[in-house]
Amino acid sequence: MSERLEISERRLSGGKSIDTEELTGRTFPYQFDRSLVDDVDLIAETPGDDLNWLEDIELMTEDGIPAVFDRYTNAFLKIHFEIPAGREDEYARKVLIKHLQEGNSYGIWLKHKHAKFAQPELGPWLDGSETVGTNWTPPVLEGWQKPLH
Amino acid sequence: MEQVMQAPQEESAGKRTGKYDVRGLADPDATAPNTAIVTGTTAELDAAELSTRQINLELRRLLHTEGVTEITLHNPRARHSIAVGLLLRCRIKIEGSLGYFGCGIIDGPEIHIAGRVGWSVAENMMSGVVVIDKNAGSLTGAAFRGGDLVVRGHVGARTGIDQKGGTIIVGGNAGSMTGFMMQRGRQIICGDVGHGMGDSMYDGSIYVAGKVASLGVDCVEAEMTDADNELIDRKFASYRIDRPDSFRKFVCGRKLWNYDNLEPNERKLVL
Repeated sequence: MSERLEISERRLSGGKSIDTEELTGRTFPYQFDRSLVDDVDLIAETPGDDLNWLEDIELMTEDGIPAVFDRYTNAFLKIHFEIPAGREDEYARKVLIKHLQEGNSYGIWLKHKHAKFAQPELGPWLDGSETVGTNWTPPVLEGWQKPLH
Repeated sequence: MEQVMQAPQEESAGKRTGKYDVRGLADPDATAPNTAIVTGTTAELDAAELSTRQINLELRRLLHTEGVTEITLHNPRARHSIAVGLLLRCRIKIEGSLGYFGCGIIDGPEIHIAGRVGWSVAENMMSGVVVIDKNAGSLTGAAFRGGDLVVRGHVGARTGIDQKGGTIIVGGNAGSMTGFMMQRGRQIICGDVGHGMGDSMYDGSIYVAGKVASLGVDCVEAEMTDADNELIDRKFASYRIDRPDSFRKFVCGRKLWNYDNLEPNERKLVL
């Protein structure tokens, strides 16, 4: 199991928001430093001739802070650096791609535990990533026994 | 616990026989047949004598372990559930037609089907491109999440039902209840559309060049913008489709927007 699944620092709030920081108990450098995502080539990182699935990704807000929605986790990833005017969606997309390529999406962490079939951990975002899902075993509920009928 | 096991005695004597797989797999003992002809990073696979599971296992073997990035699949013979669950960038050319649930739950592949397809092609697709040269059945692009799905012919009923993103392009006509419960994304239909279009849609846009038989509940017409025309021009240029002279745009009327504020808290209970 990946050490990234270690989530002892996380604190689920009683609020309405669900963001990556809350789920993982940590933040990531590219949420704060724009230069870390400047070189992400969006066209190269997506299938087809244009933005493909990123066409639907746009800058939103969560708790009043700019954020991008990570569909693989169903949670927001907040963006704390200053975004140049007119390039809001572009930077939202770059932060999301960086997040996925580095394997930091909480939904991807869960592949180590729940993937039932062999598959590349980082899917289409990074060539040659680790294979997960080769040793899945069904969960066993302690104390439960199969009924006779 | 083993994933594949012999069925219990009492079941093999009665309703169920053979192997039982907790993941719900039919033919659970199948292995990749190793019959593809590999040349560098390309491969040719003849599916004529292979079972559905053997075809899919061979595709995964080629893509995951052989380093192949382009595959041509011959003789698919309209089998169901082919090229499903592929979660990486690759190119696949299918020389023939598929049955139902082809190319489902994929994320990244660019697939060209030189034939027709049955129900629910590209359902739950996350990203990538699927191009179908002829017609598609009902539920085309069901629960579609992202990427481009292009059908050069006609499509059946409920195209893009529960669509949550991405772009579905239809060169011909679309059946009834097109865009039913659509939540995001775009549909571009060059021909006519049947009754109940956009019924209960929550978001997204449907562009139609032909006639609409009737609109569904809470689907209304909106004005075309420059951004809409840019999108259509760009997609049609990419897929070399002749653009009809004009399109009408349909969106959600927002009369059915009722969201539950407690839902996020309920979700945290299971995280």
